[in-house]
Amino acid sequence: MFLNPLNNEEGRILMREVAVIGVGQSVFGKFPGRSAASLGGEAVAAALKDCGMHPKDIQVAYAARAYDANCTAQAVLKEVGITALEMVNVENACAGGATAFREVWKEIACGRYDTGIAIGVESMTTSPIAGKLIPPEKDDLDGYLGMTMPAMFGMVARRQMEEHGATAEDFAMVSVKNHQHGCLNPQAQYRKEFTVEEILNSRLISDPITLLMCCPNTDGAAAAILCSMDVARKYTARPVKVIASTLLTGDYKYLQKDICASPVGVKVAQMAYEMAGCEPKDIDLVEMHDAFANEEILRYEDLALCAPGAGLQLLRSGATKIGGRIPVNPSGGLLSLGHPLSASGVRTVCEVVLHLRGQAGARQTPNARVGLAQMLGGLVTGLEHGVTASIHILAR
Amino acid sequence: MVDRVPFKEGIFSADAGNGILLGNKCASCGRIYFPPTDFCLDCFGKAMEEAVLSRCGKLYSYTRCHMPAGRFQPPFFVGLVDMPEGVRVFAPLKTVAGRPFQIGMDMEVKIAELWRENDKQVIGYVFKPVK
Repeated sequence: MFLNPLNNEEGRILMREVAVIGVGQSVFGKFPGRSAASLGGEAVAAALKDCGMHPKDIQVAYAARAYDANCTAQAVLKEVGITALEMVNVENACAGGATAFREVWKEIACGRYDTGIAIGVESMTTSPIAGKLIPPEKDDLDGYLGMTMPAMFGMVARRQMEEHGATAEDFAMVSVKNHQHGCLNPQAQYRKEFTVEEILNSRLISDPITLLMCCPNTDGAAAAILCSMDVARKYTARPVKVIASTLLTGDYKYLQKDICASPVGVKVAQMAYEMAGCEPKDIDLVEMHDAFANEEILRYEDLALCAPGAGLQLLRSGATKIGGRIPVNPSGGLLSLGHPLSASGVRTVCEVVLHLRGQAGARQTPNARVGLAQMLGGLVTGLEHGVTASIHILAR
Repeated sequence: MVDRVPFKEGIFSADAGNGILLGNKCASCGRIYFPPTDFCLDCFGKAMEEAVLSRCGKLYSYTRCHMPAGRFQPPFFVGLVDMPEGVRVFAPLKTVAGRPFQIGMDMEVKIAELWRENDKQVIGYVFKPVK
């Protein structure tokens, strides 16, 4: 089953094209009575069913989980009859799922295996941080002093208001948009529209961030089956190709003069466009990390969906709504789907695949040919916040 | 008298006449760090000198937290303060009557009780607006 990497004359590994042929998601919500294995198993079963692959045809597995992780891949896959193969578990904060996906992509691209599965799963309600705000790692200096993810994004929001002229209404508009999108997604945790006023009047979490500008803590899983193009053609006439996979860790915080900017987010996007051989204008839809509503506006600029400094303008123009020039988070995003940390990085890829196949139902991006899935996460004292970033670009 | 214990050793001085935040400085390139580092993260120089940070800096950003975090009970303020040495420090903020927080305002570092633990007073550094 294990293949030797393909080498060229200079001994460099030749990368093969890789396709995503199966995608699946569990229910997203609060399920303290369900194990991570059960949620993960549901997502894997859905992905296998999606492409019609037999469980025994999976050759390698990577699973991501951030909290209480211990042999996650093994526990998940035994639920669906997959055992006795190379299984690896990873943690990379909110980018964990994207990391697992990228690892499977690497295994197949370099010719070690022909098929593999990436799983992201999280049971937030049974984790040590259930009902709490996400803190940095234990013993982290800033964590002792009251730092949390919402506190960080509250401070970022204040700078956006001071420097870019953003208002709390702008932040609320992102949440309005993504909740409208979520109403069209049967798998969203919250299928409910909110008005700007309802969002602004919801409980304050970290001034000016209100409850409805934060993604909820959620249990759930997602899975994606990848394979070589030769294998893909046996299952489908229209495989979705992975045309870029990038992952990067950010630098020391003292190099980040502006906390609204994400140097690692900008760089990982440039790398992805270069690898894909495409430009931001070629992207038909984007799924991204909108853990906090104000964050989405900044990420438009990282991904070069607009000119530097024009993120607010892009939001206010309506271009990032379904039906707009470049829909962002047509799934409903983390804000309405919920955010099972490690699942989200796989789930965003799954959403892009559905659009490229024309199977995204009421939220479908018309004639989508190229889509981008971004993830960003991790808070470590001394390093830029959102310390790990990953992007995958997929095309049909 | 209640025992006072620092929340973390070696990064601040509780009774310094000269300064409170104990950083360090690369002897080769001059970059200053807080908290102190074992070597220069920039030029990898090994010789590091003590560098006590100024008492005052400018408020870069802030937020009022409305949910518990660590040992802190809401509501409480936290913020980032830019020090003249080129270092940005995250810390709890204390309010001063008549001086609402504003980006760019002058802030001064103080030692204060952060929380109580087993009858001990756990102390650390906080910033408050300069009067």
